Amino acid sequence: MYKYDAVDKTIVSERVEQFRDQVKRHLAGELSAADLQPLRLRNGLYMQIHAHMLRVSIPYGLVSSEQMRTLAYIARKYDRGYGHFTTRQNIQYNWPELADVPDILEDLSKVEMHAIQTSGNCIRNISSDQYAGVATDEIIDPRPYCEIIRQWSTLHPEFYWLPRKFKIAITGATTDRAAVQFHDIGLEVVHNDQQEIGFRVYVGGGLGRTPVIGKVIKEFLPREDILSYCEAILRVYNLHGRRDNKYKARIKILVNAMGIDAFREEVESEWAHFMDGELKLHATDFETMAGFFPAPAYEALESGDSRVQKWRELDTRFRDWYDNNTADHRQAGYRIVNVSLKEHGIAPGDATDAQMDAIANIAEQYSFAEIRTTHEQNLVLADVREQDLLDVWKALDEHRLATPNIGSVNDMICCPGLDFCSLANASSISIAKQINEKFSDFQELYDIGEVKLKMSGCMNACGHHHVGHIGVLGVDKKGEEWYQLTVGGDASNEAALGARLGPAIAKDDVGEAVSSILHVYREQRQDDERLLDTFRRVGVDPFKEKVYAEQA
Amino acid sequence: MATNRNLKARPKATPSRIQENIRTAKAIVDQKIVANDLLHVAETEELGLSDLPNGNISVPLNIWLENKSDLISRDSVVAVQIAADEDPEDLANDFSDVEIVVLPFVTHADGRSYSHAHKLRERYGFKGQIRAIGDVKFDQLDFLTRVGCNAFELPESENLETALQAFEEFSEVYQPAADGGRLIFSKRRAIH
Repeated sequence: MYKYDAVDKTIVSERVEQFRDQVKRHLAGELSAADLQPLRLRNGLYMQIHAHMLRVSIPYGLVSSEQMRTLAYIARKYDRGYGHFTTRQNIQYNWPELADVPDILEDLSKVEMHAIQTSGNCIRNISSDQYAGVATDEIIDPRPYCEIIRQWSTLHPEFYWLPRKFKIAITGATTDRAAVQFHDIGLEVVHNDQQEIGFRVYVGGGLGRTPVIGKVIKEFLPREDILSYCEAILRVYNLHGRRDNKYKARIKILVNAMGIDAFREEVESEWAHFMDGELKLHATDFETMAGFFPAPAYEALESGDSRVQKWRELDTRFRDWYDNNTADHRQAGYRIVNVSLKEHGIAPGDATDAQMDAIANIAEQYSFAEIRTTHEQNLVLADVREQDLLDVWKALDEHRLATPNIGSVNDMICCPGLDFCSLANASSISIAKQINEKFSDFQELYDIGEVKLKMSGCMNACGHHHVGHIGVLGVDKKGEEWYQLTVGGDASNEAALGARLGPAIAKDDVGEAVSSILHVYREQRQDDERLLDTFRRVGVDPFKEKVYAEQA
Repeated sequence: MATNRNLKARPKATPSRIQENIRTAKAIVDQKIVANDLLHVAETEELGLSDLPNGNISVPLNIWLENKSDLISRDSVVAVQIAADEDPEDLANDFSDVEIVVLPFVTHADGRSYSHAHKLRERYGFKGQIRAIGDVKFDQLDFLTRVGCNAFELPESENLETALQAFEEFSEVYQPAADGGRLIFSKRRAIH
C-alpha cells in the first residue's frame, strides 16, 4: 500500500499542529464556537446528540495491521472501546473529548493516517472497490489512481469551501462495487480501442434527499488528464453550484438544472484553458504510484485444498461461512475473506477494540498485514491461502467475526440513526435488530440469497436506502418513528433507484413487512433469480399487495 | 457563463455583495501589518460617480465599468471589487489600469472568490494586489494566499499579530497554485 514520503508526513503533522492551535485558541476564547465549527468539521469532528464524533479517513478503504492496531488503541484510550465503520469506508468514534482530539490526530499521524476532509463542504475521502487488485473481474487496479487523486484533493486551496460536500469514487472492475454512478464524480478505469488507459467519467450522481443516477460527461478521458479534468469540473461547480439552499447545493442539482450537455460544454471550455498545464500527469507518475501496489508475494499453489474441502463436508458452520463469506481470488490457491461486522444484535459496522486488534493479528499472520473496509460496512482480508481458511475461520469465529451472512438480508447497511445522529428522524439500529431476529434461521437466509438491505434514519440517506434491493427510510410522523420501504434499488452497474412500496409503516411492523417482501419473492422467483431479478420481471405491485394486505 | 454581461439586468445589493462601506485601520499586505486608508464602497441603488468620497476607495464592479476614465483620472489608487457572484472576466481588458482587485467575503464559507483569485492570477496574469476583505480571518489566510491573494483586511476583533502565524502553518503542498506551489508529482519527478 501507499507509504508516506517526507512531503506527506510534513503535511499531516503540520495539519495536526494547526488543529491543536485552533482548539487551543478556541478553549482560550479567541476562536468562537461558530468559527471553529467549519474548521473542526474539516478534521472530521462533528457535534452529535450526546457528544463529539470523530471520523477518521481510510483512503479507498485500505488499512494495514499496524494502522488497525492504532484504531483499536484510539477506541480503547479515547472512546468507549469500539468504533463504527462507515459506508464511506471510514471509521467513526462516537465519544471523544474535544481537548483529546489533537492527541488522537497525532497518534493517527504516526501510522500515516488522518481525519482531513472527512467532513465539511470539500472533497471527501476517495472510495473504491474493496476487492481492488484481487478481484477476478478486475480490468485495471484502481488504487494508484485513487492515491493520485487523494493527494491532489488534500488541502486543495481552491476547493475547500464548496457549495456542498463532494465525493469521488473509482472502480476498475466489470462489476461495480464502488457505486460510482452515485457519486459527485464517478470514475471507471477503462481501456480505449488502442489499449490506452483512461476513465469513463460520470458526474452528478448521488443519494441524499434527491437521489440521482450519475451521467456520463466523458466517455474516455486519457489518464494523464484526470487531475485537470476533475479541477475543471470542481471549478464550474464551485462557481455555479447553488449556495442559497443547502438541500439544493450538491453538483447533481446543478447538472440537472443545466442539463448534462450544457454542463459538459462549460466544463470543456474551462478545461481548455489549462488542460496541458502542470496538472498533466506523466507515465512515470503512474509507474511510481503503481509501485506502491504490487501483487503481494504469492506462493505458487494449486486451487482447491483437500483439508478445506473435507471440513466443508464435515462442519456445516464452516461450510456456511466458506460459501457466504469468502470469494474467488484471481490467484490460484487463494481466496478473499469477508469479515462480517453484522453479528446479530450488534449495530451494523461496529467493532470493538479487541476485535480490531484480533483482525490486525489475523491479517498479519494470514493476509500480508493488510485489511480493507467496505462501503457495506464489513472488512476484507484480501489474500488468504485456501489452506489457511480453516484457521482463519476459527480465529475470526473466536472474536464473533465469522457470522456467515455476507450478502444476505442480515448483512445490512445502516446509518447510526436516532441513537447517535443529530439529523436522524428515526432509529435504524433497532430496526436492524428486529430484522436480525426475524431471520435467525440461516438456512432460510441462504434460501433467500442475495439481498442488499439498506437503511437510513432520515432522508439524508447515509444508509443508501435508495439503492437497497430493499430500502428502509426512517421518517418522523408527529413525533413517532415510521418507515418507508422501497424495492428494486441497485448501486452497481445497472444503477437503479428503488420503487416506493406505499405509505410508511409503523416501527414494530418493519420486520414483518420485510418478511412479506421476501415471501412474495420466494413464491414468484424463477430458476436462480435473485430478489432484484424477480422484482425487475414482476414489478412492484405483488410486493405492495402483500405488504399492505398484512398491514390491513 | 459570464454572469453579468448585461449591466442593466445586473442585480444590485444581492446577499453576495457587501451591504455597508468597510474601512479598517490596518491591513496585512505581503505578510506584513501596514496602516490602511482604503475605503470599500458598498453598492447601493442610488450610488453614482458624484457620491464617491475623496481619498483611496475601492468601487463595485459596475461603477468601474460605467465610469472607468473618471475613476482613472482621480488622484487616488484604482481599486475594483469583484463580488462572489461576479466574474473577473469582466475586468479582462482593464488590468493595466487597475492596481487592486478587492474580493469581498460576505461569509468566509462562500468559496467562489477563491476561484476568482485563481483566475485573476493564472488566467489573466493579473500582477497587481488582490485583497480579501470582509469575513476573512486567521484560518482562511493560508489558502487565500495560495490561490493568489496577497492582501487582507480582517475584522477589527481579530488579532493581526496572531494571524500572521497563518502563513507559517504549512511548509509543503500537493497542488500547483498561484503561490508558486507545484504539483507534488512534478516535484517528485525532479527528485527521481
